[in-house]
Amino acid sequence: MTTDGTAVKNRPRKKSGNPWLEAGHRLKKSKIGMAGVVIIGILLLVALFAPLLAPYSPTEQNILFRYQPPSSEHWLGTDEMGRDILSRIIYGSRISLRVGLISISLALLMGVTLGLIAGFYGGFLDMVIMRFMDIMLAFPSILLAIAIVAILGPQLENAMIAIAIINVPRFARIIRSSALSLKENDFIKAARALGAGDFRIIVNHLLPNAMAPLIVQTTLSIATAILEAAALSFLGLGAQPPSPEWGAMLSDARSALQKAPWVATFPGLAIFFGVLGFNLLGDGLRDALDPKMKNA
Amino acid sequence: MKWRSLSVLLVLALVLGAFSLSAFAEGKYGGTFIFGRGGDSVGLDPIQVTDGESFKVTQQIYDTIVQYKPGTTEVIPGLAKEWEVSDDGLRWTFYLREGVKFHDGNPVNAEAIKWNFDRWRLVDHPYHIGGDFTYYSYMFQGFPGIIKEVNAVDEYTVEFVLTEPQAPFLNNLGMVSFGIASPAAVKKWGEDYFKHPVGSGPFKFVEWKKDDRIVLEANEDYWGGRPYLDKVVFRSIPDNGARYMELQAGTIDMMDYINPEDVASVKENPELDLVLRPSFNVGYFAMHQNFPPFDNVLIRRAFNHAINKENLIGAFYAGLAQPAKNPLPPSLWGYNDEIKDYEYDLEKAKELLAKAGYPDGFEFDLWYMPVPRPYFPQPKLVAQAIQYYLSQIGVKANLKTVDWGTYLDKYYADELPTYLLGWTGDNGDPDNFLYVLLDQTQNNCGYKNDELHEILLEAQRTVDHERRVELYMKAQEIIHNDAPWVPIAHSTPPLVKRSYVKNYIPNPTSTEKFHRVWLDK
Repeated sequence: MTTDGTAVKNRPRKKSGNPWLEAGHRLKKSKIGMAGVVIIGILLLVALFAPLLAPYSPTEQNILFRYQPPSSEHWLGTDEMGRDILSRIIYGSRISLRVGLISISLALLMGVTLGLIAGFYGGFLDMVIMRFMDIMLAFPSILLAIAIVAILGPQLENAMIAIAIINVPRFARIIRSSALSLKENDFIKAARALGAGDFRIIVNHLLPNAMAPLIVQTTLSIATAILEAAALSFLGLGAQPPSPEWGAMLSDARSALQKAPWVATFPGLAIFFGVLGFNLLGDGLRDALDPKMKNA
Repeated sequence: MKWRSLSVLLVLALVLGAFSLSAFAEGKYGGTFIFGRGGDSVGLDPIQVTDGESFKVTQQIYDTIVQYKPGTTEVIPGLAKEWEVSDDGLRWTFYLREGVKFHDGNPVNAEAIKWNFDRWRLVDHPYHIGGDFTYYSYMFQGFPGIIKEVNAVDEYTVEFVLTEPQAPFLNNLGMVSFGIASPAAVKKWGEDYFKHPVGSGPFKFVEWKKDDRIVLEANEDYWGGRPYLDKVVFRSIPDNGARYMELQAGTIDMMDYINPEDVASVKENPELDLVLRPSFNVGYFAMHQNFPPFDNVLIRRAFNHAINKENLIGAFYAGLAQPAKNPLPPSLWGYNDEIKDYEYDLEKAKELLAKAGYPDGFEFDLWYMPVPRPYFPQPKLVAQAIQYYLSQIGVKANLKTVDWGTYLDKYYADELPTYLLGWTGDNGDPDNFLYVLLDQTQNNCGYKNDELHEILLEAQRTVDHERRVELYMKAQEIIHNDAPWVPIAHSTPPLVKRSYVKNYIPNPTSTEKFHRVWLDK
């Protein structure tokens, strides 16, 4: 991406110029994609300015005022420890975003490295790496995550590692298939003829050209990562109290579902919108980046 | 004519009334009674377990030599119909009921009782296997402890010879942990006996699906009369809310550990009854003195000042509890009401921390149990509240938990630096709280105090009641001063039943036999 980026500046802007810019235009036209952008934008702002937005501290308890219904004092009511639910959701956005971004970055790093190596070199190395990925894919992902957290110990950091690991095979597969088809192209042969080494070819030529599907997958994976983190926390394997993680909030609200439904409703909605935002953006990006959709 | 029809009606009404009255008094046979509870049993060999969820079930399967009158801790005949004690208090003779049989058909006689006690107390007994026999050493001071000999005098007479008099001896024998097992079954299953329990109690073991259910069926030949119920099922439903929903839906007939916030809705529901178990427990937060800085009494006192018990009880017990200042519950004799509790005072707590050399606080692990207990109906929430209180004096608690069986294992292995736990009295004697929980040879919080040890041993040996009261009063003073725990609450545990469940009498000791319970449906 960086090589393309620098190249762009010297080129005159034409309609058929930079494919990334074109994709950006297409994304702007896509209503779904823009809805995703807006939701994620709000989420980012909320996370960034949490201390300014939250009316109370997310961990401040008042156990004599548990399960207060929504009121002017507590807009979304209070939870089982008498904490302000709105403040907890606001601070929770930081956790969910962090989990999504960090765990998927890790997955991206590992998956892309493995996938490129497998795709580029092929042969025995390819077989070993990809069969291992197949084994990982054979497990239901959440089960694998639970097993990993069980080994590492229940903690948000470990949950992130677990989520990163279960997402590796998808990235590895995508990048490998791109690498397989790309490496037969003439421009790769040309680069090799000019004396470029393996590393240079992989990083400067293969990777940038395999970017489009990767971006889509990354965006969609952040959505599932948020969901997976919430699920792990729901099971008590992720964020530990008093951390205002959305899934953990949902889990703690369970026992009062009949009496105080708002305690479960609002964190549930927060998860819903967070996941929806990244999914919409992912869909929008897929349409925008797909060359077949170019003139549609 | 008019009068006659009236009188006919009157007679009819009387007859019907008599019928319905007798129906109440007599009870109906048949039906399956499903009891929903918060966790599975650890094991069904009562001598090997210490948790209420195991005892709840073994109480139905086993008999003890003596037992407690329903709703009290008063001793009444069990397998023994009468007994006598020598003047020096060292020789106890029990005369057993004749013709009682274990579920496998073998007779419950003096030999069987001797065999059970020998298995428990003799470390070199071939069947002293499968666990630590914790309760035996708790109550009788180690192995073989104070029981020197158990003799089968004849078929139905068994004699205990003690090395020293023990005031609570008779009460101890009635404890659910000393249920008499069929020697043949123990020999047959060995280490796996805890999965194949055979006793002589009102219900026989049928099956155990781990973490799901335990099924028992009526013992037709029970010496106390055939149980009204045909079958008893104990179901594990860990979530309090889910369990309550099942009760409302009628898929279970009774449950314990209701969320305090649901108590009000039970009172409004005509199909449900609240049954209050007499308060006989203590829930506490222990600080293990093997883990610095908890070896410093100032830190322990600081914690005592930092936790607001009144609010905890208001929030998490629906008011069905009172704040604890002693390990003993107030309903038990020997309770020292003159002790002044450490008051809730954050400034004082901070001062003590600074004096102990931790003005900026420190970080530690706080363990809470994963299942509701009578003394902590919502342990996770109590732990979070304590975490918050301590954060206000600058101390950071990391909350930890693990499944219930492992939690207890870690507790016995002294692996928990601080933890929530509690105790329900088993036999109505202060010894069963103070010695078991805090004596230096017994406790799992690293607490050592020689003076306390001497006092507790003397109280066990003393038969004079007044003197024992005096000793236990003194013991509570010492404990208060050393502050090994933050005592939190003495709860009145609520149970909830469908209103057709009749004659359920809750015992203070937390378990009761179901053979007099019947279903009016």
